Amino acid sequence: MFGSSQLDSFSGGGFISSQGADPSRTSAKSRDSPPLLPLTIKQISQAIQSTDEKSNFVIDGVDVNNVRLVGMAYKKSERVTDVAFAIDDGTGRIECIRWVNDAVDSKEVEEVSDGMYVRVHGHLKGFQGKIQLVVFAIRPITDYNEVATHFLECIYVHHCYRKPQSGHSVSTPSQTDVPAAVSASSSGHNSNQFSGNLSIDGLKGIEKSVIDYLEQPSSLAQEKGIHRNEIAQQLKVPLEKIMDAVASLESEGLVYSTIDECHYKSTSA
Amino acid sequence: MDTSNPAVFVNAELLRLYMGRRVRAVIQVMRSDGGGAVTGQSTDGQQITVKGNPPGPLTTFVEVIGIADGIHSIRAEIWSNFGDTLDTFSYNRICLLANGDYKHLFI
Repeated sequence: MFGSSQLDSFSGGGFISSQGADPSRTSAKSRDSPPLLPLTIKQISQAIQSTDEKSNFVIDGVDVNNVRLVGMAYKKSERVTDVAFAIDDGTGRIECIRWVNDAVDSKEVEEVSDGMYVRVHGHLKGFQGKIQLVVFAIRPITDYNEVATHFLECIYVHHCYRKPQSGHSVSTPSQTDVPAAVSASSSGHNSNQFSGNLSIDGLKGIEKSVIDYLEQPSSLAQEKGIHRNEIAQQLKVPLEKIMDAVASLESEGLVYSTIDECHYKSTSA
Repeated sequence: MDTSNPAVFVNAELLRLYMGRRVRAVIQVMRSDGGGAVTGQSTDGQQITVKGNPPGPLTTFVEVIGIADGIHSIRAEIWSNFGDTLDTFSYNRICLLANGDYKHLFI
């Protein structure tokens, strides 16, 4: 339960919460607070404490419930009811507490020694101006590929939550800035990962043009919507292609038909 | 919580950018002479030297955290055995991402 974070599905790797892993949900709707986030300590240090009574932290615009860290444990000190230690993941250090209630808990922490790479799952807590981690589970790392994988997941999740929410976002943004060696294979990787969950990125050129046209202020201002013939005329695209594009956009929930089957409006109005 | 002394993910190529700073790198051990230096291949295929005395026997892959004191050398403070099998390609990718677009998540 607490210790497992297996990546079963490709919809966000299990970290981006979406209702029922339905692949056609757009990114705009899947921003409920996620159950577990992989983070670097640097990210935690940049968290904003939300002002509501739950005293949660906000990172990248989402409420953070539970976090997962991978780093080196040190300064382990065993006390009567709990074990305190610090985790250093290379980006920073954070103090952690693991409450020890029964034999299972104490067995778990016994395996951890200073200087050992561990994976922790816990909940962030503010205490006297500092952020601490209340740890639910701590496990030593045996396969060190977990280190690289954890940081890749941190980057991926951060990237997902930073994507723009607008209905016509550009295609996966990482390709322009990242050096060629990285983008060559990451673009293939990204389109696999993203096309299921964040379908806006998979929009073909025509669909994109149609949604762009429908989202212009002049189009949005029209109560009745725009007749598809007009779209075809304006974009200089054959009507069948417009109809295909509109059908696809409709199934994504991006446009809807208004007074009849021929008039459409964008849902982001 | 303290983010004042991060160790930057580097490979041989990036090492030169962080002279005098705390870095971390994974190397594939090629030879270790008893005189306090270990030569290894970093995750991008280039050779680097790690100065210092490892605390015990080393596995094939070792992560060293220390100060970069030369364009191809690190003065190690902490040695971690990373086992005999490791995906250096992923680790190298992390080095590139952590120093590129996603630098703000790391340092």
